[in-house]
Amino acid sequence: MRFSLKYAYLSAFIVLAYLLLPTMNADYLYTIQDNDVFISGHTFMMDTVQNEGGWLAWIARFLTQFFYHPWLGSTILILFWVAIYWITIRMFSIKDKWCFVALAIPVFLLYDLLSYGYWIYYAQAPGFPFVPTFLALFALLYTWGIIYLTRNLHISWTLKGLIAITPLAIILYISHLLWPTSWNLNYHSKNGILTTLTDKNFRHELRMYRALDEFRYDDVLKEMPANNETPPTNLMVLYKNIALLHTGRLTDLFKTNNCGINPFVTDSTLSSRIRITQLGAPLIYYQFGQFNFAYRRAMENSVTYGQSFRNLKIMALCSVFNQEFDLAAKYLQMLKTSLFHRDWAIEHERWMYNSTLFMQSRDFQAIAPMIDDDANTLDNDEGRCEQYLLDHYSALRHASSPQLEETIMCLSLWRKDAFAFCIHFYDYVQHHPQESIPPLYQEGAILHGNTDLSPIDFSRFKFDTFVADRYNRFVQDYNQLTQQGLSNEEMGRRLQPTYGDTYWWYYYFYTDFIIY
Amino acid sequence: MKMKIFFSSIILVAIMAACTHPAVPEDAKKESRLPHIYPDYTEVTIPCNICPLNFAVRENASEVVARFTFPGGEIAYGKGQNVLIDEEEWKLMLKAAKGKSMQVEVFTKEGERWKAYKPFNIYVAKDSIDSYISYRVIQPSYVAYEKLSINQRNLTNFDEKEIYNNMSVSTEKTGQCINCHSYQNFKTDNMLFHMRQGYGGTMLVVNGELHKIDLKTEQTLSAGVYPAWHPTKRLIAFSTNSTGQSFHTKDLNKIEVQDTESDLILYDIDKNEVSIISELEDELEVFPTWSPDGKKLYFCSAHFEYKNDSIAHETEMIQRYKEVKYDLYCADFNPDTKEFSNVEMIYNAADSLGQSVTLPRISPDGKYLLFAQAEYGCFHVWHADADIYMMDLKTREVQRLDAVNSPRSESYPTWSSNGRWIMVDSRRDDGNYTRPLLAYFDRQGKAHKAFAVPQKDPNFYTFFLRSYNRPEFMVEPVGITPQEFAKKAKEEAVKAKYAQR
Repeated sequence: MRFSLKYAYLSAFIVLAYLLLPTMNADYLYTIQDNDVFISGHTFMMDTVQNEGGWLAWIARFLTQFFYHPWLGSTILILFWVAIYWITIRMFSIKDKWCFVALAIPVFLLYDLLSYGYWIYYAQAPGFPFVPTFLALFALLYTWGIIYLTRNLHISWTLKGLIAITPLAIILYISHLLWPTSWNLNYHSKNGILTTLTDKNFRHELRMYRALDEFRYDDVLKEMPANNETPPTNLMVLYKNIALLHTGRLTDLFKTNNCGINPFVTDSTLSSRIRITQLGAPLIYYQFGQFNFAYRRAMENSVTYGQSFRNLKIMALCSVFNQEFDLAAKYLQMLKTSLFHRDWAIEHERWMYNSTLFMQSRDFQAIAPMIDDDANTLDNDEGRCEQYLLDHYSALRHASSPQLEETIMCLSLWRKDAFAFCIHFYDYVQHHPQESIPPLYQEGAILHGNTDLSPIDFSRFKFDTFVADRYNRFVQDYNQLTQQGLSNEEMGRRLQPTYGDTYWWYYYFYTDFIIY
Repeated sequence: MKMKIFFSSIILVAIMAACTHPAVPEDAKKESRLPHIYPDYTEVTIPCNICPLNFAVRENASEVVARFTFPGGEIAYGKGQNVLIDEEEWKLMLKAAKGKSMQVEVFTKEGERWKAYKPFNIYVAKDSIDSYISYRVIQPSYVAYEKLSINQRNLTNFDEKEIYNNMSVSTEKTGQCINCHSYQNFKTDNMLFHMRQGYGGTMLVVNGELHKIDLKTEQTLSAGVYPAWHPTKRLIAFSTNSTGQSFHTKDLNKIEVQDTESDLILYDIDKNEVSIISELEDELEVFPTWSPDGKKLYFCSAHFEYKNDSIAHETEMIQRYKEVKYDLYCADFNPDTKEFSNVEMIYNAADSLGQSVTLPRISPDGKYLLFAQAEYGCFHVWHADADIYMMDLKTREVQRLDAVNSPRSESYPTWSSNGRWIMVDSRRDDGNYTRPLLAYFDRQGKAHKAFAVPQKDPNFYTFFLRSYNRPEFMVEPVGITPQEFAKKAKEEAVKAKYAQR
């Protein structure tokens, strides 16, 4: 049997595709399907197909849901790419040794899918993993058909081109008459082909989101970089602190790198858009027990960037916690029609009929203690989720649970809100007269307690010796470096090995806290 | 009449012979309760020209059959858990039952056994309903919006078409909001709707001719907002509003939409002039509506005094949001001189009841006034306690229309052109998604049980993630095409002039 290069090229491509898709980017593919939705039934179908290229999108969305199992979704996509490869070879009768040229389209489609990066949150392009593949396949089949039909006609290539274009022009014209909006294409894919749309933290964020969504808090923490060479994004810091909060370790927030940065992408259109609000706010608010704000952000993201499984789930969960059972049933009913989120919906539907089951659930156990008993107010996060949480919890006066107490103490430090922290510290000491005070709280009190920023005088408060001694050493070292005329940045670098795990270091040297 | 019924019955039998209908189970076990059906069409009174009332049976059943018994015949339907009625047969059923009723018996198959539920009636009124309604289709979002459309629905069948779709002119960077569609006397040759943000302006159709107007002047608070066409003159009353939104941290009403300021203006179409009707300090005037003779203008107004100069009005409004309560007013209007006089409070809801009145609408015979009432505020679509009330304009007695209300929000009441049908927006299904409901209003001034506008797929509302806003009756479809609206939308708006009153 003669060795054929075309099979070798194809095999190499398939190996590469499996390596790059389900092996290395399983969480990326999972997130893509989680950010899209497919609901069985006439209503969803009609809602999708009435948009431009609606049928294409509807089929693409159906297939996108298979990325719930990244190997399965990848296999389907790779099969289409194999078809493109074969058709290209057949259409142009490519010789064996040149068959690698026929991989140009599949390789580009593979690159295109992987290069979305942060655009997966902003592209208003339902079913985008499959749409370009379908378009390429259609273009090839169409061209192949025209070539086949005109094979016996002795006419110029220009005329053949005209024959090819005419039916398309007629279809477009008729569609314009039938669907008035069809000239105004509102399918917004990503910008740029060669710009950087992702950074080193992107995939950490994807994994942390999924772990948080599944209440795997230890896995959330594992995603944080062990050293400071790759600073985490603010979103990662938020995820990390939520995991610490729910595992009773929020007082470790400065021991676990709390110095977030903005995501780094070179595409200016994208970088100006990236907001925690779209990346994870619904889940973040939910984990804090802020159900109205979680619901709102899930709704707003759905309206702007398209409905998704993750938003439907958050809206269902919030509705259950809010005891809006009819509303929850609506979303769960929709999720029950899906191929892969059906079990989730059935499990959560039981909560509505069995309060014991609900109260025993991991959601309730983790989140119920976060529900404060403050009165309802009118408020607005102004699209800045992180800022809202810091402001809200720093200002909260009464903690109805230990988790909430820890939250208001730590978030007022995270916010560097000396005034709020000192009041919270005073309350804490009153409520825990016989208990030892966590070192972190003492670090905050010793720093702010004797300054004008504090409304309460802590000069007579007896701090633990090791905290007081360490603080004195910090002050000494700080003053020494100041006298050397070093910049704040350099001082921070030098003091980090010794004091990087303290609130003092965070307070003085983390100055790039930019909310996005 | 008897001959009509006879021939109708013959046609019906012929059609039945041509169609496949399920057999009615004979040995079903009787249940003493009504079946759970969706939408709820039990004991409703329907127009004699409405489309089929398809419904889903929400019992634990693998199969369902519904037997419709009407004067001159009976037909059974059932497909899975749905009851889908043939449109042609339905028309004949309505014809036969006009002025009478049809009885519906529902059977469900659970396991191998059939159950027969307590039958219910559907009463068919002699009165027809306007063939068309229109509404804005929007996701119940907070600040964001993307795709919005104003659609028209033919109530005699299931046809729905877009009047205008904002995506026809919206781009990724220039989004466009559309709202407040309105018609003069239920006809569409004089109509309007607003566009905001991208290509902003008011789309005004006058005698079938399309114009784009900018109603904002230096002297007025905003462009026109809530509109009311004068019934006989080429005049439109609008409110002008400075509107903001804020969000409840816990309350399930979720959103507050508030006007920090609002006034009333009158737009003279022929002169392209805007004049101020009312801009009283400490009064928030809104929701104008004309009496059918055009000699009175009804509107709502809240007395609200800002007390704290150290904070922005918007902030104070947010802090005191529960204090904003609207009363109902009426002013005389002289159509010839275009002068307003004798402003009178006709319903003191705020002080005497601690309630807030919005969205007044007067019946075509001028006898009744419908409005939405809740504890506070002006945006009752988000207020779960909002209900529809009715005032007898002769006696000024007010009653809550329990037949159309639910424990959840009801708002946007409106009348059909013959005054026999009421339409409201209701969130009774789930609290968040508004659906249009119809209710019969008989000659004795009594409202009957409200029912959802029928859909071909009875589960449509369950799976549809958009709301229906501001439902309005029309006696004819809008003639201008979406393309024509889109083309005009891209043109520059003609600025209205300000005229001192």
